[in-house]
Amino acid sequence: MDAKRLPIANQIRRLRFEHGEMTQSELAEKIGMTRQTVAAVEAGKYSPSLEAAFRIAHVFGATLDDVFQWEGP
Amino acid sequence: MSFREKSAWITLVTVLVCFGAYFGAIATGLVSARGFDTLHLLLACVVGLVLLQVALTVIAAATTPKDGRAPRDERETLIQLRSQSLGYSVLVLLVLALFIPGHLGHTVIDMMNFALLDVVLAVLTVAVAQIVMFRRGA
Repeated sequence: MDAKRLPIANQIRRLRFEHGEMTQSELAEKIGMTRQTVAAVEAGKYSPSLEAAFRIAHVFGATLDDVFQWEGP
Repeated sequence: MSFREKSAWITLVTVLVCFGAYFGAIATGLVSARGFDTLHLLLACVVGLVLLQVALTVIAAATTPKDGRAPRDERETLIQLRSQSLGYSVLVLLVLALFIPGHLGHTVIDMMNFALLDVVLAVLTVAVAQIVMFRRGA
């Protein structure tokens, strides 16, 4: 019962790995979200708000472009 | 499973059990649809529903303590808004459909039970929509 994949790719999984194998729960706590929401964003099933996207990028010390990439037409 | 998803399951199960018992008793003729028996059964079902929901919500909060205390995040808020919007549409349609039994000459008590059934179905719609959206991701 998967939702349609969104046209936005992300590098969250890789960035978590590169930042001391940060868990989804740890990332969720840092950005004030639930682990399930982080999992949905990472799996490309949910598009976070611009604010949440910036929060995620800020945690990794990266730019928005480093974390999210548009893959639509 | 997040606390909010557990809450949606709790709503679905408790409403199905309590109001299933209420409408089942009326439909099978276990209690008369006219008279105080129905009112007493309804009160018992509502009290049972509240007690069950409180007990199960306490258990859900204890098993997911972080989620239970935290406010809804943006995805959970979106899911809540979408599901309630769907539930509202279902409720409006069902209330409009009340004119059918009204025209068929049902009593006021019957009409109140139909209206209650409409509310119950709308609540179940919200709970099912939330569960589906939580399962799908959003």
